[in-house]
Amino acid sequence: MNHDKKKDVPPAGGGDGVIVLENICKRFGPHQVLDNISLAIEKGKTTVVIGPSGCGKTVLVKHLIVLLRPNSGQVYFKNRRIDNLSENELNRVRTQYGFLFQGGALFDSLSVTENIIFPIKQHCKITDWNEVEELVKAKLAMVGLDGYQNQFPANLSGGQRKRVALARAIAMNPEVVLYDEPTTGLDPIRSDVINELVLKLQRELGVTSVVVTHDMTSAYKVADRIIMLHKGKIIADGDADHIRNHPHPIVQQFIHGQVDEDDLAVLRMSGKISQAQFLPRDFE
Amino acid sequence: MIGNLGAITVGGINNMGRFGRFVWQSATASFRTCASPHAYSLIWTQMNIIGVRSVPVVMITGAFVGMTLAVQTYGQLAAMGLEERLGVLINIAVVKELGPVLAAVMLAGRVGGALTAELGTMNVTEQIDAIRSMGTNPIRYLVAPRIMACLLLTPVLIIYADLMGIVGGYLVSVVQFGINNQAYWSHSASGVELWDVTIGVAKGFFFGVAIAAISCYKGFTCKEGAQGVGRACTEAFVASFICILALNFALAVVFKAIYSTFWPLKTLV
Ligand SMILES: Nc1ncnc2c1ncn2[C@@H]1O[C@H](COP(=O)(O)OP(=O)(O)OP(=O)(O)O)[C@@H](O)[C@H]1O
Ligand SMILES: [Mg+2]
Repeated sequence: MNHDKKKDVPPAGGGDGVIVLENICKRFGPHQVLDNISLAIEKGKTTVVIGPSGCGKTVLVKHLIVLLRPNSGQVYFKNRRIDNLSENELNRVRTQYGFLFQGGALFDSLSVTENIIFPIKQHCKITDWNEVEELVKAKLAMVGLDGYQNQFPANLSGGQRKRVALARAIAMNPEVVLYDEPTTGLDPIRSDVINELVLKLQRELGVTSVVVTHDMTSAYKVADRIIMLHKGKIIADGDADHIRNHPHPIVQQFIHGQVDEDDLAVLRMSGKISQAQFLPRDFE
Repeated sequence: MIGNLGAITVGGINNMGRFGRFVWQSATASFRTCASPHAYSLIWTQMNIIGVRSVPVVMITGAFVGMTLAVQTYGQLAAMGLEERLGVLINIAVVKELGPVLAAVMLAGRVGGALTAELGTMNVTEQIDAIRSMGTNPIRYLVAPRIMACLLLTPVLIIYADLMGIVGGYLVSVVQFGINNQAYWSHSASGVELWDVTIGVAKGFFFGVAIAAISCYKGFTCKEGAQGVGRACTEAFVASFICILALNFALAVVFKAIYSTFWPLKTLV
């Protein structure tokens, strides 16, 4: 028992974060998505995760809240090991998180208001409904959607759904908010409003944020620290300037959005193929 | 070949294990739900969705079963001059076996399909993960109310099916074949015991839980995509159907044993 306890305290050096990943490996079948990742998310800071599509960013943030369990390695939240807890114990931990899913994951049988108050209804005794209405109004106003209270997700556009999902993620004023691509699918102005929202939560409520994004403008704006993921490893880690001047060619390519030579070669090849003519089929 | 067989066996046992754990979690969650009054509204909503809209199909099923039985058996009984006993035959068959089983099969199609499709879609659009991410147990929030609703409603729906079966059989026998009204009912009354009705309805509890548990499990474990959801629905229906028939057989054996042990005591009191 005592021995176990000792093992649960992260080794010195890794213990300075709210969430700490230690040597995380994650495989889906033969496909190794995360390869021995160690990472400490600092309290009150905004950490941005960038990387090419399909490199495992979503998988990584899901490990931070243990929606996925690692094949090996440990996850610590406030110095307590959480990757080996039961779902019921985890649920208590998870109330301190907000998670914005990449696809929004709104409940389509519930209205916008019901979506936003879902976590409140589950965890708090609501005595004053006016207060709750005020809260929903305030959260929706933050994402520019006040007045949409009684709509259903099916009637909203993709970007609007994303914003409602964001309002839901921050409904309980969580200490840690994980945003999976919060600005994807939004127009540039709305994206910037979301950036401001992330900054505001950090400044005013001291929220610890992890933002997954492809949008470098947004990354530079909100990040205290940027991490680049590539082939299951962290290949760059530092503040915005560090990343801008990073010597690694893959990092430079990614942040400048340059196509690499191999991809170009493939495109040139397929140019020839697409000239091939297919005879139209006769329709009787 | 043998390796394949082994893999299938291991896969099957794995699956059974996961289903077993799912049922266990659902059962504990359902008991907890009973103890927490604020979850009653969830059960009530599900009862409306599951129950109220199933009444017409279940009643139609029952009516046709009763009518068909009358048509099919009249000839044989009449040849022996026993047509007045038609009532016993129809009503026993309807109340004990055909009403419960066919109503349950109807529900497996109508309710089970809807449950699997709903939960399967929620699963592939990450709504179930969203529930987990907000610190709520999805089994408790989604599965327990559905199981409770099916548990409470299937017996009621079976009563509807029984009633309509009895009415259907009566209409065909008395109105079409002209059997004496009085004789038809008095034979029925003496032939059908309270026990028969009770076990018919009691089966409903088991069928209801089986349908809900299997359908929810298939929804929770559904694979990505529209095809995945479709496949889960088909599998849920087939599994529920087989489970209903197997349960029906098992319950027949159990109830028979109970009947022969305890029913004679009734005459003593
Ligand atoms: N549940 C799963 N089962 C099997 N493979 C998975 C699963 N989830 C993710 N993967 C695999 O893990 C890899 C990383 O997926 P992930 O969703 O993390 O990418 P991403 O970096 O978020 O990409 P994007 O920027 O496009 O969202 C993908 O190759 C995917 O095929
Ligand atoms: Mg992603």
